[in-house]
Amino acid sequence: MLTRRVVVCLDVQGGRVVKGTQFVNLRDVGDPVELATRYEREGADEIVFLDISASAEERGTLLDVARRTAERLFVPLTIGGGIRSADDVGAALRAGADKVSINSAAVARPAVLTEAAERFGAQCVVASIDAKWNGGAGWRVYVKGGREATALDVVDWAVECVRRGAGEILLTSIDRDGARTGYDLELTRVVAQAVHVPVVASGGAGSAADVCAVLDRGGADAALLAGILHDGVTTVGAVKQAMRTACLPVRAA
Amino acid sequence: MRVIVFDYGAGNLHSLVKALESAYVEVGVETDPVRAVARTTDVLVLPGVGAFGAAAERLAPGRDAMRAAIADGLPTIGICLGMQLLFDGSDEGTGAGLGVIPGRVTRLHAARVPQIGWNEVTPVSADPLFASAPVPMAYYANSYVCRPVSAAAVLAWTEHEGDRFPAAVRAGRAVGVQFHPEKSSAPGVAFLHAFLRDARTTERS
Repeated sequence: MLTRRVVVCLDVQGGRVVKGTQFVNLRDVGDPVELATRYEREGADEIVFLDISASAEERGTLLDVARRTAERLFVPLTIGGGIRSADDVGAALRAGADKVSINSAAVARPAVLTEAAERFGAQCVVASIDAKWNGGAGWRVYVKGGREATALDVVDWAVECVRRGAGEILLTSIDRDGARTGYDLELTRVVAQAVHVPVVASGGAGSAADVCAVLDRGGADAALLAGILHDGVTTVGAVKQAMRTACLPVRAA
Repeated sequence: MRVIVFDYGAGNLHSLVKALESAYVEVGVETDPVRAVARTTDVLVLPGVGAFGAAAERLAPGRDAMRAAIADGLPTIGICLGMQLLFDGSDEGTGAGLGVIPGRVTRLHAARVPQIGWNEVTPVSADPLFASAPVPMAYYANSYVCRPVSAAAVLAWTEHEGDRFPAAVRAGRAVGVQFHPEKSSAPGVAFLHAFLRDARTTERS
């Protein structure tokens, strides 16, 4: 049986790991290679690097970080941020990523998901979706790091991404990002029920109990954690212990 | 000992190369399938990212040479897609596999596909490879799985949503693993080292 995954996310800017709330108020929290390998030792099942600057001039910096990380990291590494084309996906994979997440570019041109999946396999194509509650109309897809609303409904878009070749959905609640009030269980549940690929829930983790809730009641396959680990609020080990207590299948570190 | 990773054009080879190098062997990456199995190659590695059709196409010009080298006893390890290439063919794409192990590659019978994440590796018997380097839990990322004609080829099984399929197979000195040892943390790296130790003791003359 597949275990539920604890995924540690490192927001990378200019070769450093940073963390903010709702995509702003960024502060430096450390070196990406050091942090990634430390989290592997602590039992993280996967690492994600999100290039939050995503400018062309910093792309080379991120690929260099990925290369140095992949040489020392022996759990899967996902890279996202500013990926525009199947060629970009190829460059990230060759640099050291095992999976690549695509966000704004997929909204602008959904065929990029198909092109990447056909060339590299669906298992390395992650559709990253930033969702914001839109009142009675459900959740709306946002792009450009959460700054720009689209006309897309989150559930419809998730289904479309999978149809076009995405092998995994990274679902971030903009409303909860950095708030530490718990994941958006309802959002996660409706998306996880609508698609047949793994859903990684992101945004809002405040405690180990929140992680258990999104994996259990939210139906997520994996939970993404960042700030509460970087700040020492909890540890990967404590989260996994809580999962074990909640009878969720877990990989022993 | 010279280990050659056949690079068929897709994917992250850094972790795999580093994991192999940490066993103090010389590791080369070769994009030409004929040169990949030159007489100077002691161990062949078929890495694990990409789509079957594209990989089979890159393999095609060297398919006969590689098949002959493996039949001749070249220690080989195929990882994920690389394991699938040891079989006859795949429903994922056109083109021929190496046909080292009789059988086909078909889609996982499960609601959630691809299988992405950590799953069990259950050895069938006291296989020396898994006995020396157990990998109770390994990282998988696959939509397709190998269906060998004979279960005798299977070294270890795993299961996803009720579909039981080989986690590892062997034909002579060729081993295939559906999981990614290079992404399965310390036990996975130790497994690769154990494979290389075995290969060293059975090097081609």
